[in-house]
Amino acid sequence: MSVRGCFLIAVCLVAPSVGALAHHSFAAEFDRNNVVELKGLVTRIEWINPHAFVFLDVKDAKGQVINWEIELSSPNGLMRRGWTRNSLKVGETISLTGFRAKNGANVASAGRVTLTDGRQVFGGSSADGAPTVPNAKEERPARP
Amino acid sequence: MTNAVRVVVAVILMSSAVSAQWPAYPTPGIPKNSDGTPNLNAPAPRAADGKPDLSGLWEPGVFAGAQAEPVAGAPGGSLFGDVSRGVAGGLPLQPWAAEVVRKRKADNSKDNPDALCLPMGIMQNNTHPYPRKIVQGNAHVIVILYEIQGAVRQIFMDGRSLPNNDPQPFWSGYSVGRWEGDTLVVESSGFRDDGWLDTVGNPLTGAGKMTERFRRPNFGTLETEVTVDDPKTYTKPFTVKFKYRLMLDTELIEHVCLDRSSQHYVGASGASGGAK
Repeated sequence: MSVRGCFLIAVCLVAPSVGALAHHSFAAEFDRNNVVELKGLVTRIEWINPHAFVFLDVKDAKGQVINWEIELSSPNGLMRRGWTRNSLKVGETISLTGFRAKNGANVASAGRVTLTDGRQVFGGSSADGAPTVPNAKEERPARP
Repeated sequence: MTNAVRVVVAVILMSSAVSAQWPAYPTPGIPKNSDGTPNLNAPAPRAADGKPDLSGLWEPGVFAGAQAEPVAGAPGGSLFGDVSRGVAGGLPLQPWAAEVVRKRKADNSKDNPDALCLPMGIMQNNTHPYPRKIVQGNAHVIVILYEIQGAVRQIFMDGRSLPNNDPQPFWSGYSVGRWEGDTLVVESSGFRDDGWLDTVGNPLTGAGKMTERFRRPNFGTLETEVTVDDPKTYTKPFTVKFKYRLMLDTELIEHVCLDRSSQHYVGASGASGGAK
């Protein structure tokens, strides 16, 4: 496995760490069984605690553009995973896997995010029961 | 993944994360192994007065917050979510408190101070996944800086007693400390009546007293136990135990909690005015 290949997979598998924040119950707002795959243009970014948000213009099956609100982890959590304020920029096209809000709004909690340059990063939010990506390792092993 | 790949992954992630924040600045004074790697099993450092020096940046090291030390008869897991996970047989709740917890669970903990960006109190701050920095600067006071919400705590070490004159209730109470051998014992009282010990909302009232015991068995580990004695809420005291590990080559990050919408907590959308 190349180092770069390792990096791409690694971020998905082990990046969730200290940064996760159980600000609210994942299960209260999002449906872990309603997975959405979204690709769209970044229209707005809110780099605020306790959750960062990114807004995406996504075309639906009929060609209509819908603005989705995507909840990310906290900026603190994202920073410790290697994100910076420049990791996402308005006008870029990204794709992501997320978990849709239970109330059916165009709102989702992010899982894996694929950035413009192809890098895949974990952007998930709540630690409290939030799924990440298949086979994700949510906890770093404790030191002996 | 093989162990070798895990190591590579960890190194890449660490370097990535550090470089993303600010120029790397290695934590000074870390004992090293012969190969130059940090020796976190080395003896704990000592302060000028000979007491153990608990100073450092500490994290639970687990995604969901501090994990309960295994106890027979307790399920274990994140104490940040529910302190009862670390108590054999569950918490000895008074009937009114059990009803409060039932209601709080039923409404998805919408009134948790955390959900409203209000101070979370000693127990939630201690068990939160984010780091906390202990500053043991002199013999008179120990300061704990919590990354979460930028919370600050003073532990007075000058021999004073806890206030006995009905002080103003505080989110994190009033704390005094003393050394028992190599263990720092911190007693706190003067809490508000509406405290939440965890996300599910096990209560703490102004009748409560908390006793924390911190011990640094080696350079990289801080053992912590917290005893809650609140006869108004619990029929008897209970204790939870957990560990932190030392974080190297990083610092606290500013954290200002913006209460976007408490509706967020109960299943409504983020209500940001963006997508609906």
